[in-house]
Amino acid sequence: MDWQVNCGLHLVIQTSSLPEKNKVEFKLHKETPSFPGRLLQHDLERNYSSRQGDHINLVSSSMPSFPILQRSSEEKILYSDRLTLERQKLTVCPIIDGEEHLRLLNFQHNFITRIQNISNLQRLIFLDLYDNQIEEISGLSTLRSLRVLLLGKNRIKKISNLENLKSLDVLDLHGNQISKIENVSHLCDLRVLNLARNLLSHVDNLNGLDSLTELNLRHNQITFVRDVDNLPCLQRLFLSFNNISTFESVCCLADSTSLSDITFDGNPIAQESWYKHTILQNMMQLRQLDMKRITEEERRMASVIAKKEEEKKRESQKQSLLKEKKRLTINNVARKWDLQQHRVTSIAANQDRKDSDSPSQDPCQVDGSTISAFPEETGSLDSALSNALQGLSVTDTHLVEVDGDTLSLYGSGALESLDRNWSVQTAGMVTTVSFTFIEFDEIVQVLPKLKIKFPNSLHLKFKETNLVMLQQFNALAQLRRIDQLTIDPQGNPVVSFTLWKYYVLFRLSHFSMQKINGTEVTQNDMIMAERLFGILAHVASSELPQYRLISILGDARKKQFRYLLETKGKKPGVVSEENNDSKRLVGENTNRATLNYTTRDFYNEKLEEIKEKKKFCKMYIEDLVKEATEINMKNEALQKLWPQMFIELVRDAVIEIRNKSSYMKLCLQQITDQK
Amino acid sequence: MATERAGTWLPEAGKLELGSCCGPRMLSPERLALTDYEYLAQRHVLTYMEDAVCQLLENKEDISQYGIARFFTEYFNSVCQGTHILFREFSFIQATPHNRASFLRAFWRCFRTVGKNGDLLTMKEYHCLLQLLCPDFPLELTQKAARIVLMDDAMDCLMSFSDFLFAFQIQFYYSEFLESVAAIYQDLLSGKNPNTVIVPTSSSGQHRQRPALGEASMLEGVEASLFYQCLENLCDRHKYSCPPPALVKEVLSNVQRLTFYGFLVALSKHHGINQALGALPDKGDLMHDPAMDEELERLLAQVPGLVNSVTASSEASCLPSRTPPRVGSPWRPLHHARKVDAESDGSTEETDESET
Repeated sequence: MDWQVNCGLHLVIQTSSLPEKNKVEFKLHKETPSFPGRLLQHDLERNYSSRQGDHINLVSSSMPSFPILQRSSEEKILYSDRLTLERQKLTVCPIIDGEEHLRLLNFQHNFITRIQNISNLQRLIFLDLYDNQIEEISGLSTLRSLRVLLLGKNRIKKISNLENLKSLDVLDLHGNQISKIENVSHLCDLRVLNLARNLLSHVDNLNGLDSLTELNLRHNQITFVRDVDNLPCLQRLFLSFNNISTFESVCCLADSTSLSDITFDGNPIAQESWYKHTILQNMMQLRQLDMKRITEEERRMASVIAKKEEEKKRESQKQSLLKEKKRLTINNVARKWDLQQHRVTSIAANQDRKDSDSPSQDPCQVDGSTISAFPEETGSLDSALSNALQGLSVTDTHLVEVDGDTLSLYGSGALESLDRNWSVQTAGMVTTVSFTFIEFDEIVQVLPKLKIKFPNSLHLKFKETNLVMLQQFNALAQLRRIDQLTIDPQGNPVVSFTLWKYYVLFRLSHFSMQKINGTEVTQNDMIMAERLFGILAHVASSELPQYRLISILGDARKKQFRYLLETKGKKPGVVSEENNDSKRLVGENTNRATLNYTTRDFYNEKLEEIKEKKKFCKMYIEDLVKEATEINMKNEALQKLWPQMFIELVRDAVIEIRNKSSYMKLCLQQITDQK
Repeated sequence: MATERAGTWLPEAGKLELGSCCGPRMLSPERLALTDYEYLAQRHVLTYMEDAVCQLLENKEDISQYGIARFFTEYFNSVCQGTHILFREFSFIQATPHNRASFLRAFWRCFRTVGKNGDLLTMKEYHCLLQLLCPDFPLELTQKAARIVLMDDAMDCLMSFSDFLFAFQIQFYYSEFLESVAAIYQDLLSGKNPNTVIVPTSSSGQHRQRPALGEASMLEGVEASLFYQCLENLCDRHKYSCPPPALVKEVLSNVQRLTFYGFLVALSKHHGINQALGALPDKGDLMHDPAMDEELERLLAQVPGLVNSVTASSEASCLPSRTPPRVGSPWRPLHHARKVDAESDGSTEETDESET
C-alpha cells in the first residue's frame, strides 16, 4: 500500500480498448498528480487483477525448471494484450508462448529472483514486477517499446541494463537497495522516477533526464542534492525523510525554473527556524511546500524575514571578522610580549631570531590571512567590511577595546589610549579595566591618568603583566577606589605566592575590597592580612625617622605628579603642595603609605642620583674629617707642649724678679721712660 | 663644627660595633696603630657621616624647616636603634655589619608573624618579603640562603620561616667571608692547599692527604681539621666580619669531614654564632616578641569593618591551637640537627651567654 502512496503513480489500463500508445500516455499524464484519493482505485485494480489470475493455468513444461504458460483461447481473446500472474508463488518467470502481442505483463507478489523468458514479448509496454526477489535488472534488452517498468520492493542494488529501454516513461525502483543514481542519463523520455526507500546518500548524475517531471526520493539518507537544475521539466520533487540539514546542500533547487512542488518534511532542515522563509525566498517558483499551498502572504513574510536574516548575517560576519582581527592582533601582541620576556627557549633561539628579523612583515602576513580566512563568506561584503575595519582602533602592536563596561588594553602601546579624549559617557561607563601583555611598571606610570580619566573603574584585571613582587601592589594604593582585583596567574608569577592575597588586602585595605580573583573577601581574610603584615606597617610608620618618612612620602607624591610635572614644567610651588599632600596621605592611609612601589627605571634613576650625591658626600666628609683630625693632632701637640711652655714662662718670670731691688729699679726706669 | 661632630659621635661609633664580636675598645693598641682617619673609616663612622650628609642633601628643603640639629639627632638615634635601614637601598644596607644586623632584625620583626602563622614559603616569596624592606635586594643572596636550607636541590621547595631566617642570617651577614670560604673549600677539594703560609708540620699531612683524596671524593667534602686551619688563617687576615674563630672551631671539631653546605648548615644552626651576631633571638624564642604582639592585637582591633571583637578574639584563640602542628613539621628536621649540636655544645653555650 505504502509504495503506492510514495510513488503517486497509478495506472489504469482499459481492458476493453486497445492500449494504444497515446491512450496509455494520456492516462499516465492524467493520473500522475494523484494522491490519497487514488488509493481506492488502486485497490480496486488489484482486486480485479487477482480475480483475473484465477483463470490462468500454469503447466509444467518439459524443461524441469521453467513452467510453460498457456491460456485458454477464450481468455486469450478476452485479454488479448494483457497477462496477470499475480500471487502465483512463482520463483521463476514462466515461458510464455504464443503471446507475442502482449502489451501488459504483471508478475506482482511472486518470488521471482531473475527476469527471464520474456525477451520474446517485444511489444510489451507495461511490466510490473512489484514485490519479488529480483537482485539485478536484466533480461530487458529486447523490450524496446517498454514504457512502464515497475520494480518496486525487490532486492536491486544497482541501476543497470536499461540501455535499450529508450522510451521508458515510468521507472519505479522504490524499496530496493540502490545506493547510487547511475545509468539513467539516456532515458530522455522518462517522466517519473521513483527511488523512494533506497539507500541513496546523495542525489546527482541526473543529466539527460530531459522529460523528468516527478522525482521521488523519500526515505533515503540523502544529505545533498545536485544536478536538479539540469532537469528542465521537473515539477515535483519529494525529499521527505532524508538527512538534509542545510539549505546549502540543496541550493541547486533554487536554480530550477520548473520546480513547483517540493517536500522536505522529516529532514533536519525542516526543524530550523529559518527553514520556511529561506526555502520560499530562494525558490520563488514554488507553489507547494510540504504539500501545502504557498500563499502570497507567506511569500511576503519570507522575503521580509530573509532580508532581516541577511542583515543579521552581514552583521555577524562583520562581527566575526572583527573578532578574528582582534584575535590576530592579540596573537601578535602576545608574540611580541613573549619575545620581550625572553620566554623563548635557547633551542628555538634561531627560529625566533628569524621571526624578529622580519617583524615589519609579520603584520602584513597577519592582515593577509585575516581576509583570506573568509573568502567565501565575506564575498561581496568585503569592501564594506574593510571600511568597518578601518573604523576600529586596531593596530598590530596593541589593541584597545571598550566592550560594555570593560576597557581592555592589550600591549603597551594601548596605554597611550588613556591620553585620548574619552567621552564622558564612555569614561563614566567603564568600571572594569583589563590589562594584558603590558609590563606592570608601565601600567604604574599611567595609573594617575587612569584615576582621572576613568574615575569609576572599580575592577582591575591583570594578565601577562609581569607582576612578580608583592611590593608592586603598593602602586595600586594610589588609585581612588578598587572593589575587585583579578590577577591572572598567566604571566604574573606573584599569584603563585601563598601570601599575595593577604598582602593585597593589607596594603589596599583602605579600599575595603570585595573580591580578589573572583573570590569574596571575608572578614577572616582581613584579619589574617592584618595579622601577617600589620607589624610591618607598624614598624614602617612608627620606627621610621621623621626625615625618612618625609622623603618616602615625598617620593610617592612626586611619582604621582610626575606626569603632570612633565607637561607643566617644574614650578617652585609644587614642592610645598606635595608636602601638604603627603601629610594628608599619612592621615588617610594611617601607617601604610610608607609602603610604596617605585618602578624599576625610576628606582634605578634614583639610585644613580644617590650615587652622585654619595660621591660628593664622601669627598666632603673626607675633607672635613681630615681637617678635623689635623686640628685634633695640632691640638694634641699643643696640649703636649703647653705645660713645658708654661713652666718656661714662669721660670723666666721668677728669674727676672729674683733680685727685688734691681727689679724695682728696672720697673721704675721703664715707667719714667714712658713719660 | 666638624671637630665637634667627630668628637661627639665617637662613643656612638664604639657602641655600634657591638655587632661584631671582636671589637677593640677605643684606646686599644690597635686603635693607636691607626691614624684617626683610618680608625674612623674602619669603625664605619665615616659611612654614617657620609650617609647623614647625603640624606640631608636629599631632603634639604624639608629638613631645613625642622632643624638641622634635629635631623642629625634623629639620624644617629635611628642608626643606634637600627631603624635607619628601613626601605633603604641595598648598597647602604650591606655597607656595615651594624646595618646588616639591623636589617636582619628588622626582617625578623616585620615578618615574624608570617613564620608564626606557619606558612611555608618558597625562596621567591621570601625574596619578595625582603624586597618589601629593601626594594633592590639582590635575588642572588636569597638564592644562596635558600641553597643552605634546601641543599642545592629543588630550589622551588618550601621552607619554614626559621630555617630560612637563620640560613639567611649567615649568608647575608658573612657573605664576603663565605665567598672566601667557598674558594678555600674548592681549593681543598681540588687538592691544593690554599694556605701558602701554613705551618711546616702540616705539609706532611698534606702529602698524606693527597692520595686519600680519591676516597675523599667518594666520602664527599673535605677534612674538617685542615679546613679549620685554613679558616683560622682566613679569619686572622679577613677584613670583613667573620664568625668568632672559637665557634668555627667548635663547629668543625664535631666532624671528621664535611661539605661546604654542611659547614654552612652547621653555622646557621649554631646558637653561639647567632648570639655572637646578636641580631636575632634564639631559635626557641624566634616567635616571641610580646611588645609587637601587643601592638598587633591593638592593630587587629582596628581592622575596618570588624563588627565585634568576639570574632577577633576567637580567631586569636584558635590560631595558636592551629599553629603548633603546622609549625611542627618543618621543625622536625631541626630537632634532629639540634640533638647533634647539643652533644657538642653543652659547655660553650654557657660561656656564650656569659659573654653577652
